[in-house]
Amino acid sequence: MSAMSSRLRELEEIVGEENLLTATAAVSEYQLEGQMPVAVALPGSAEEVARLLRIASEAGLSVLLRGAGAHLHLGVPPSPIGVVVSLARLNRVVEYDADDLTVTVEAGVSLGQLARVVGEHGQMLPLDPPGPDSATLGGIAATNLAGPLRMRYGEPRDLAIGLRAALTDGSVVKAGGKTVKNVAGYELGKLFVGSLGTVGAICELTLRLVPIPEARAMVVAAAEPKRACEIAAQVVGSRLDISSVEVANWDALRRMRLSLPVTTGPEAWVVFVGLLGEREALARQEQEVRSLVSDGCARLDGVDADEVWRSLRGAGYPGGGTVAVCLTVPMASVREIVGLVPTGEQWWAVARSGEGRIYIGPAAEAELSNVQQRLAALREWAEEREGSAVLEWGPVEVKRAFPVWGDSLSNLDLMQELKGKYDPNKVLGCGRYLPGL
Amino acid sequence: MVDKKVRRALEKVVGRKNVLTEPADLLLYSYDSSTARGQPGAVVLPASTEEVSRVVKVCARHGIPFVARGAGTNLSGGSVMLRGGVVIALTRMNRVLEIDVANQRAVVQPGVVNLDLQQALSGHGLQFCPDPASQKVSTIGGNVAENAGGPHCLKYGVTLNHVVGLTVVLPSGEVRRLGGKAGTPPGYDLVGLFVGSEGTLGIATEMVLRLRPLPEEAQIVVALFDTLEAAGETVSRIIAAGMLPAALEIMDRATLEAVEASFPSGLRTDVEAILLIELDGPKGTLDRQAGRCASICRELNARSVEIGRTPEERERLWSARRSAFGATARLSPAMLVNDATVPRTRIAEVLREMQKIERRHGVRIAKIFHAGDGNLHSNILFNRDDPEDFKRAEAASAEIFRLCAGAGGTITGEHGVGAEKPEYMRLIYSAEDIEAQRKLREVFDPLGLANPGKVLPERAGVTEGDA
Repeated sequence: MSAMSSRLRELEEIVGEENLLTATAAVSEYQLEGQMPVAVALPGSAEEVARLLRIASEAGLSVLLRGAGAHLHLGVPPSPIGVVVSLARLNRVVEYDADDLTVTVEAGVSLGQLARVVGEHGQMLPLDPPGPDSATLGGIAATNLAGPLRMRYGEPRDLAIGLRAALTDGSVVKAGGKTVKNVAGYELGKLFVGSLGTVGAICELTLRLVPIPEARAMVVAAAEPKRACEIAAQVVGSRLDISSVEVANWDALRRMRLSLPVTTGPEAWVVFVGLLGEREALARQEQEVRSLVSDGCARLDGVDADEVWRSLRGAGYPGGGTVAVCLTVPMASVREIVGLVPTGEQWWAVARSGEGRIYIGPAAEAELSNVQQRLAALREWAEEREGSAVLEWGPVEVKRAFPVWGDSLSNLDLMQELKGKYDPNKVLGCGRYLPGL
Repeated sequence: MVDKKVRRALEKVVGRKNVLTEPADLLLYSYDSSTARGQPGAVVLPASTEEVSRVVKVCARHGIPFVARGAGTNLSGGSVMLRGGVVIALTRMNRVLEIDVANQRAVVQPGVVNLDLQQALSGHGLQFCPDPASQKVSTIGGNVAENAGGPHCLKYGVTLNHVVGLTVVLPSGEVRRLGGKAGTPPGYDLVGLFVGSEGTLGIATEMVLRLRPLPEEAQIVVALFDTLEAAGETVSRIIAAGMLPAALEIMDRATLEAVEASFPSGLRTDVEAILLIELDGPKGTLDRQAGRCASICRELNARSVEIGRTPEERERLWSARRSAFGATARLSPAMLVNDATVPRTRIAEVLREMQKIERRHGVRIAKIFHAGDGNLHSNILFNRDDPEDFKRAEAASAEIFRLCAGAGGTITGEHGVGAEKPEYMRLIYSAEDIEAQRKLREVFDPLGLANPGKVLPERAGVTEGDA
């Protein structure tokens, strides 16, 4: 028996025969960017995950953690994958304390599943990352992705108040807890959230919830590009209680196929101001926003507002063979978006004005060398402002030509040391995150 | 005291007058606002990141432990050197370096006093949300090291949620910049790991803070209750009803009496609990919420409910709340401060048990709660000259920790573990959990010189006072 097959036997003993896939047909469903895993394990508990990780670590078998696979496009094309550890079977809501506005879920619970459970109690998890609602909370935590609501509610790092993680030494550790305020010990949870599965496997999460606001609306205004950015900045700087402020250019609007009650065109960009709250308060705020905007604007309510919000949310998730880059810069720099869109070419761009983020990409499949050059210019722009540019979506060729996470990353040595402490044999992550993590 | 060679090396960095070794000076730096005491070998007052770095390098070279210190308002002994070493006082680094209105960020040095920053910001219509009750004296450096809270973190989150960048001096003396004015950089959340690390991962010498526009309006609902549980239950109901006030604070009778005696502000002292509910938001949006809160209070048999709408009225009530901690000192020369935290659905039940503990141990506990967060400050009064009394207070405190841990809570919501609570970490974390945390510390501080003896329990420790 080869070394590999004896390892697989060990993995099988942990999860049971039916939960270890090795047949080519079954395994090929889990291939990622040309890499075919040797096996796929579907553990049924955090303890099983930890045992799998320990064996993988001892054997030097590389591990790709996976939820629903909704965000596996994020990251450097993987090095060879030993075993995919799918957390799909960890799909229970462990504890829901509705009156405390907290919920504890296993990592494989999907965004949609959680929304249904807590929605029955008039509550929601205020996270709207790009991508489908089949995405798991473990995956969302691992990627730290968030959407327009980030401006008001923060990102997974803010909303995850506790977690349980399986480590490569076979232990399952708890970090944080179930209270919204807790300073006992280190914020170890912060190490796992946003680590792209490179230090341990998040198996369980405790999250803060919020009540579903009584009403939601979106004020939409069209204006000449510079003016649109100015309006957005004014709204962000106002004392209103806004939940999101975004600006989209003409190509972005066309790509989203939105029909809006304002007149748009190449020289008329659109500002979207999201409002959430009590009905009366909302009406008042809408008036205030309108007076700030002064240009032609309209209000969308209920499902119409939702549809727009869903499109905006998807900015970083274009699908297909296209490219999307997320630029993160100080808030005020976002208005420079006007000069960033390459002239004479069709590039879409959506700016999250309230959080200093711009999603941008070519509207059509462009030639690789051209795209690469443009992306490099965008990255240079962001880095000059002490920000970053992450290639959140792109075909493998683009990812190979343009470093996904950046090329002048600071404090990499500290991060590598942290990685080394928790994953000494470097089996987690398959090289998809920053170099050496 | 540190030896001559070390002293000279330190003087070379910060100048002679900024190295203190006189016994009287050392005594001044031997305590904070907790019960912990420990005399340092020297106190150094650097004026820049560069100087902090060089001071830390001297410590590293000579294997001397060190701790950073701001105003010394720490409530868990975090800023006291337990076994000698160097106190690095950051009070000279007290400049607001930049208020960047367009980016809603401020860049400050660690010695800036929280309230001074708030005042500098309010002219721009901005605020730094964390507002610990000690804000008149406590420094931003200390707030960051402890991940401080305050009444308004119910709505706006704790310090961690408002720090986006740090310049830090690692325990090796190396200077690093983590994060910055732009949002989350790719990679592990180093800022998130550093905030709240209680000076054990290094010293933050510059911080980039997230600011928020000041709310346009605020209102305060004041309800008086005949039982503490009823006030606690009201808080749970308000949260469950889906409202998110800016603050939900409870003071018990003992605290009210102390406040009225020290700073008379017309509060009634013949009730068992007072609940302050602050609401904030855009103009004209608060009346309905205030009305809903008031009716929940009445449903829970509040003896009276008032709504304060003017800034003067609010300030009067808030100053009573902010002075509560200091005023409690009037009741007793010393107190043990416990800030255990529980899920908000368990508040009433925990308060009932807490009163039993009070009776059982024959101690008096003044209670001031950030109730909306489930953060229960029970100040256990004792007489420092009576060792038996201190033992009773400690025993009561230990029982409160166990009670809150058992209710799914934690041993500290905002004061930190410090020197007082490392052993109690075992109530909420397993040995494996603690080892995983220790690894983090080892990456930053392999020599174990940064504020030793704090946060994590010793590997083979025996729980003190936890009999």
